[in-house]
Amino acid sequence: MPMKRRIDWAIYAAFVVLVMFLPLVMDAFWLNRVAKYLVFGMLGTAVALSWGYAGILNLGQGLFFGAGAYMLAMSLKLASTTSLQQGSDKPVPDFMLWNAEPGAPTELCCINKASFLWLPFQSQWFGVAMGLILPVVLATILGTIVFRKRISGVFVSIITLALVLLVRLVVIDSQPVTNGFNGLTDLGWFNIAGLEFDPYIVPTYYLVAVSLSLVLVGARLLIDTRAGLILQAVRDDQNRARYLGFDVPAYQTFFFAVSAAIAGFAGMLYVIVSEFASPTFMDLTFSITMVVWAAVGGRSSILGACIGAILINTISATVSETEGFAEAWKAIIGLIFVLVVLYLPRGLAGLAHDFIDRLLARKPAASPQPLRVSDASSQLAE
Amino acid sequence: MAQAALTIDGLSVDFAGFKAVNGVTMTVDDGELRVLLGANGAGKTTLMDLISGKTKSTDGRVYLHDTDITNWEEHKIARAGIGRKFQIPSVFKELTVRRNLEVASCRKPGVFANLRFGFGAEAERNVDEVLELIGLTEEQDRIAAYLSHGQTQWLELGLLITQNPKIILLDEPTAGMTQAETHKTSEIVNNLKGRHTIIVVEHDMAFVREIAERITVLHLGQVLAEGNVEQIENNPKVREAYLGSKGIS
Repeated sequence: MPMKRRIDWAIYAAFVVLVMFLPLVMDAFWLNRVAKYLVFGMLGTAVALSWGYAGILNLGQGLFFGAGAYMLAMSLKLASTTSLQQGSDKPVPDFMLWNAEPGAPTELCCINKASFLWLPFQSQWFGVAMGLILPVVLATILGTIVFRKRISGVFVSIITLALVLLVRLVVIDSQPVTNGFNGLTDLGWFNIAGLEFDPYIVPTYYLVAVSLSLVLVGARLLIDTRAGLILQAVRDDQNRARYLGFDVPAYQTFFFAVSAAIAGFAGMLYVIVSEFASPTFMDLTFSITMVVWAAVGGRSSILGACIGAILINTISATVSETEGFAEAWKAIIGLIFVLVVLYLPRGLAGLAHDFIDRLLARKPAASPQPLRVSDASSQLAE
Repeated sequence: MAQAALTIDGLSVDFAGFKAVNGVTMTVDDGELRVLLGANGAGKTTLMDLISGKTKSTDGRVYLHDTDITNWEEHKIARAGIGRKFQIPSVFKELTVRRNLEVASCRKPGVFANLRFGFGAEAERNVDEVLELIGLTEEQDRIAAYLSHGQTQWLELGLLITQNPKIILLDEPTAGMTQAETHKTSEIVNNLKGRHTIIVVEHDMAFVREIAERITVLHLGQVLAEGNVEQIENNPKVREAYLGSKGIS
């Protein structure tokens, strides 16, 4: 159906254009807010890729988001002015000094037992690289174990859920290196060739907007490849795919890792626009919220899940700030979710697809299809 | 003399003391169509599971031509040239009929080899031919979940034909089919004769008569008899074990 495909891409283009023109009509405050929502949109896309296309309901997507966020936040923490004012010629995070043992040298190498881990993060690009590598490595290890063992369905969800909580606990518990539940705050600005990405300036918005556009198009192209089609075949019937000769765990692991990379990327962008990283990124509620975004937007649509995330966040911001709803907004979001699950199991994207199908079906209906006579038995079968 | 396509040598599996398949030895020639017959629990499906790698055997070997494929992983056995149709029809339900066949037409098994678009003109032509053969050309853009039971069975046969394995294992391909559907299925299977080596598990004697050349009868996990339709129908041991005193109905 090339026509439908063209419409699909036109909708993608329209979305990208809309996102690109927003700075013309919004002030810095709202632009920063929307940038955060676009980051959440990217997370929605990551969830759609693993849940909708690979059939893996990851209830711990926050793990990859958090991993990406912390990796970049470590670099930006070292780039902040406070880190440079701790009495050493090299940057040292302030929180390490607050808890340092008496007499410990004010050096990143040895202020506490694990502080040397921070050393390479003095390079911002090391942080950026790790923000992608760490989620991908984690996802590959996890995926290899889980999928080779043919664990599937709800058990994968439980494992991912347990894992994100475990890592959250470790991060909170490792106060000397992670600043515990306070997270990493008071960060420096991300910097590309001298351009500093103050979260409230237009270039920062564009950094996020362009990143999201590239991720959307990339993810969409990826599922249009043969591998993407085979992945959907694996989702529908693992065994059938296996007996056609496909190495099923390799497909699942690959796309699980891609989804993790997107989540890690989103985590880094979030750190740039919000200037902090915190263990709350790995809260259970946050990971589940992402799943809700994807469900509302449409889990089997890359763009749908993204729009779902943006829409829900915009609505919750608007509703929660409307007097009278200030108390009830969570109930309203919950109600929307229940209604969508009950009446739109394929989400808003499913609704849009049905609408397009109906429009397309109306046109050729003018020339009635020839009656089928060739295949009597297939009619018998119906 | 025809070459052996599949050689099974003393194959056994032990499920905690219960020998579902017990020392089965048989040879299937290249291009042959072999029917496996037997009552429930005779070990027919288990034997297929052992050949295709779903179940790991505890004793004995399986050779595909000269390659020992005993207890390989399923996808490796599939790639070596054994295709399988399941008893419960399994297709990719959320993909269209055409997409289903395109997946099966994919010759490269790895992820990275498949990070490219399209399947090539030759594969698409092949898909067209298979659609014609299984009679689903008109339905090619339908989502597989909306096909009738018979059509789903044919689509799965189509997946196997597209995959083009040397040996095709069919587990009750006519289960739950109407007479007309059964007849069409036998046409499809007859069409494959000669091009593929085929092993069929089947209960439906009308269907067996339409397609069978040689029959192997299993009983309690062992080979009871082997021969053509007539020999099997008149074999006293087989009559006693399965068919009752009245013969094949």
